[in-house]
Amino acid sequence: MSANPITPPKPEWARLVGDSLKQNGVWHTYAKLLEARRAYPDDLSLRGYVEIVRNTIVREFLAHPKGMQAVPKLSAEFMSNFDRFNLNAQEGYLVSLIDGRLDIQKLLILSPFDPFNTIFILAKLQAERAITVPQ
Amino acid sequence: MTFERALLDHLPNAIAVVTENGAIQFRNAAFEETFGSDDASQWLREAARAVAGERGWLHGFFIEEDGQTIDVEIEGRVYRIDKIMSVDDGAAPAAALSFEDVTREREAEQAKSDFTAQIVHDLRGPLSGIQGTLEFVLSQDSKLDALYSDLLREAQRESERMMSLINEILDFSKIKSGNFTVEEEPVRVAGVLKRAVRSLQSVAARDEVFLVSAHGRDVPQIIGSVEKLTQAVINLISNSLKFTPQKGLISVGAQVIRNDHDVAESIVVTVTDSGMGIKAHEINAIFEKYKQSGTRSIRGGGGTGLGLYIVKQIVEAHGGEVSVASIEGVGTSMVLRLPVKRAAA
Repeated sequence: MSANPITPPKPEWARLVGDSLKQNGVWHTYAKLLEARRAYPDDLSLRGYVEIVRNTIVREFLAHPKGMQAVPKLSAEFMSNFDRFNLNAQEGYLVSLIDGRLDIQKLLILSPFDPFNTIFILAKLQAERAITVPQ
Repeated sequence: MTFERALLDHLPNAIAVVTENGAIQFRNAAFEETFGSDDASQWLREAARAVAGERGWLHGFFIEEDGQTIDVEIEGRVYRIDKIMSVDDGAAPAAALSFEDVTREREAEQAKSDFTAQIVHDLRGPLSGIQGTLEFVLSQDSKLDALYSDLLREAQRESERMMSLINEILDFSKIKSGNFTVEEEPVRVAGVLKRAVRSLQSVAARDEVFLVSAHGRDVPQIIGSVEKLTQAVINLISNSLKFTPQKGLISVGAQVIRNDHDVAESIVVTVTDSGMGIKAHEINAIFEKYKQSGTRSIRGGGGTGLGLYIVKQIVEAHGGEVSVASIEGVGTSMVLRLPVKRAAA
């Protein structure tokens, strides 16, 4: 009798991601999806779910009452204890541009990264409380 | 004569059992009448022969499962050849094949396609004129009464929709007639995405939707058609615009998939929106022709149901694949994977 490898059934991403967004929020769901992507590298639709969550993060950031005119500032916590923040090169570069005067619109022009990723990094810095975006 | 033989001879379709070398082991009366035995032996042997390292069409029936169908031109007519079953009686492996003459069907399809292409071409000319005129009048916005301005914008929106429907019908007729070929030229995928985003930026701004690029410049080139890939991405963005509300977001991204040796293998293009999403039971059918989501478009007006089908045909013609992710009430992401083919050294 020959043994055939059993392919595990593809998870129901739509339901799992939808439930996780409601229960755990966007950042937790995003981290879980990155883990899942390592486990299912060939699953094309999974990449789409990662993008839906990234899109949601960026849209929520843009929903700030001042929109593109909002001015990000470095947080007090970051100024006093920046070693705690494990920033990568892209995050570090954007932090270096934040001076409490440049609004998001101007940061997008100065950023060497594409607009979507620039805003995504700003949203991540805000979620980690390295920056604040006062209303 | 056996019962089975009498039955096979009575069938209108030509049927033959053929070996991989093109030798005929059995043929029914319809086959004999259609092709004659000597002529058939000759073209079957040619169909089995490899020319310049490429195997003939007969070979395909010996590597594929039963039920495979191909259209082949034989002596000036087109036959649909269907593999009924594999025959292995201990001698050379053979396949039972059925031959149906579909020449008239193909000619009718071609005539229909040519007619559609002509009509579509004739419609595009005057419509381009209307669009140009509307654009000029709207550029004089400050001199226009607010009511007229709104009405002209509505006319402009509808003319854009009509142009998109006409283009879809034209592309579909090309696909149906087999005239859909993909050029082999180097394609800068980042350039394709940039061009597609730029071409719909004004429509997105008018609809108050953020349309942004989400990719760097370091996306490798692929081999394919700049024009068709741009069209595929435009179709996806246009589709997203229909279902994304005001203040919504559409992002157009690209990621490079690398192998263990850090060589780029494929590029994954995503068009992601914050629209209303697709119902779970509809998601598997959205790339089929004439299929439209049951969800009503935000900006009214339906489509041909061909846009995503055309995207799938374009991507598959490039050796790629399409997929979709969607969460109701959150958004949808259309995903295209395009292989990075390299030109021979």
